[in-house]
Amino acid sequence: MKIKVTSIYVDEQNKALRFYTETLGFTKKTDFSQGPFRWLTVASPEEPDGVELQLALNDNPAAKAYQQALFQQSQPAIMFFTEDVQGDYERIKARGAEFTMAPTAVTGSTIAMLKDTCGNLVQLSQLARW
Amino acid sequence: MTDRAQYEPSPASGARVQKDGEKWTLVLVRELRQSPEKVWQAITDPVHLREWAPFDADGNLGAAGSTVKLTTVGAPALHVTETTVTRADAPNLLEYKWGGFDMRWELEASLSGTRLTLWTNIGHRFIAMGAAGWHICFDVLDRFLASQPIGRIVGPEAMKLPGWQRLHAEYAKEFGVETLNWPPQTRQ
Repeated sequence: MKIKVTSIYVDEQNKALRFYTETLGFTKKTDFSQGPFRWLTVASPEEPDGVELQLALNDNPAAKAYQQALFQQSQPAIMFFTEDVQGDYERIKARGAEFTMAPTAVTGSTIAMLKDTCGNLVQLSQLARW
Repeated sequence: MTDRAQYEPSPASGARVQKDGEKWTLVLVRELRQSPEKVWQAITDPVHLREWAPFDADGNLGAAGSTVKLTTVGAPALHVTETTVTRADAPNLLEYKWGGFDMRWELEASLSGTRLTLWTNIGHRFIAMGAAGWHICFDVLDRFLASQPIGRIVGPEAMKLPGWQRLHAEYAKEFGVETLNWPPQTRQ
């Protein structure tokens, strides 16, 4: 058994795909539809066969409520790890993303937070070297 | 189940694409041998839908204002959406949404029985696949209505059919779109 995919609810899948590929720099991995259901995933180019992130449409009321509640509490819906949070912050900001927190040192890591344009906050984390 | 084992999709026919800018609508027409009343039951009654449709309904779709949960059958993750029936003029016109898709069903009495027309909007990349999928559903519906049910064939079951690639390619050619390599032919 392996952890192969994790999901995030988004309010629009095409817009999400643009953000997660063009702005964050991931690559599209799987794109398949069955009826109104669209299975859409991205992966990191640093780890093309690594864990996939499913961009799941929030087309049911429970998903919407959950997503909005997290966002209103300023909680990230997903967290990505990087070796260079300051560099990523500058690169991603230059591509037009809106950060709600610039790189900030916290216990054990440096974190930054940005909006994914699809109803979520995304956290970037760089673990501190001990 | 012998009939199901022997089933092969009929050739592509009766489908067209209406393009309104970015919004594409798949229009499917099928002649059925039963009365509009009988076809109406097949497209609204959850027990009948279960025999041929690509979704399950937890209630009857035949009354305007009803709220019904639809579950996509065979999707790679459980997919349930809620819809409210916006129009139900039995036995002629039915409208509701399936997820983000508008669904409009029209039933007209014809010489042979009923002419069924379905309008549904669908993503460009998947329009030929959608046409092939609905085509198979309507083949199965036709047999179900004739009291020779072969059981619903949707999702992965449809794609495993010997005629799937052929049918998908026929619609792709007709619509002038590319076929998708799905299910992937080169990877296990």
